[in-house]
Amino acid sequence: MPSVIQPRDERTQPSRIVPGYPQTPLRNPQQSLVKRAPTLSELTGPLDAAKRVRLLGGDIAGHGGKQAIGQLIHLKVRVLDEDGAPVGGALVEMWQANAAGRYIHPNDDDRAPVDLNFYGAARLVTDESGAFELRTVKPGAYPVPTNDGWWRPPHVHFSMFGKVWLSRLVTQMYFPGEPLNAQDRILNAVPDAAARDRLVARYVPPTGNPPDALVFEHQIVLRGRASTPGQP
Amino acid sequence: MKGASLVPTGEATLGPFFPPRYVDEGANDLTVFEGRKAKGEAIEIHGRVLQEDGTPLENLVVEIWQADAGGIFRHSADPRHAQADPDFLGWGRAATDASGNYRFKTVLPGAPEGRAPHINVMVMFSGLMRILKTTLFFEISSDPVLSAVPPGRKGLLVAKKQGPNSYRFDIRLRGEDETPFFDD
Repeated sequence: MPSVIQPRDERTQPSRIVPGYPQTPLRNPQQSLVKRAPTLSELTGPLDAAKRVRLLGGDIAGHGGKQAIGQLIHLKVRVLDEDGAPVGGALVEMWQANAAGRYIHPNDDDRAPVDLNFYGAARLVTDESGAFELRTVKPGAYPVPTNDGWWRPPHVHFSMFGKVWLSRLVTQMYFPGEPLNAQDRILNAVPDAAARDRLVARYVPPTGNPPDALVFEHQIVLRGRASTPGQP
Repeated sequence: MKGASLVPTGEATLGPFFPPRYVDEGANDLTVFEGRKAKGEAIEIHGRVLQEDGTPLENLVVEIWQADAGGIFRHSADPRHAQADPDFLGWGRAATDASGNYRFKTVLPGAPEGRAPHINVMVMFSGLMRILKTTLFFEISSDPVLSAVPPGRKGLLVAKKQGPNSYRFDIRLRGEDETPFFDD
């Protein structure tokens, strides 16, 4: 079924220029964005991008003598469209810092240690119910080199491919109860409080299953619906 | 969840630590898919990505989406998708080098129904709180998306032919000759 893409409520999306985030005023357009009516070109998109890339699996905490250091966590994520329908077969890319707040990346020269058993990236495809699971360690917080007291709270990056070009999403997921959430410049660039809350994963009290990991659940909603609301 | 109406998740910046291994070798070559050659005229699209002060941006991620040489999208929403070139995925990814240059090999897209030949382009990077989307054209032509762009800025969306099969498409995120981006 063709997808319908409607304008988003601006308050549920981040401002493009963020006070205290010095790259944003240099890289975001000054001119007004051009309004267009989506055509077939924007309402199609790569359904099988996974065939072009190498999948990495969702179990990235390591096993045996190669276990990453940190709090073992299970992330259970569901990917839905605006109708609440599962988005199955979607390519998901995830990356995060290690438990000490350090990324394996040439750009990260933070003083926190690298964990040789943790690369911190998963790439997989959602199942038919739009679900995917990650076994990882909880990322640490880290200071941003603005050197003015901005620390990123623990967070996980996601890059997702929906059914059409306009449903492509890059986002970040946060953890509940983190004191740094309240002052993070990226999380708080979203004006609407409820929309910010939806970027925070839900903590699931332990039930003994799995026995070794804390569980967090999260929901991601990609743009697009099968039909306009109100229509039969 | 019939009748549900969920709010799309808030976007966020890609940040500076997008894993280099996510820019797979060959992901910027759309002329070959699963070992087979796509139909049509092979072309190269390349360009530089600059921020406001003219600094070239390294490790910025560019993705493209386009119709095949016959103007058909590899997607079920295209009424002609059964005739799409099976050897053309239509999607690719590149990252900019230290001089801010990116490069794709692809095929010259055909004209989709009601559109001029074009390539959808998106840019993701540290400092971009939302994905920036634009469209590359090969000439000023009758096209509903190009028509939406103010007259003085349309030329910024036309790739410059630099050789028989080579096109240059620079992307200026802000400032002089700023690339028109779409509000969607």
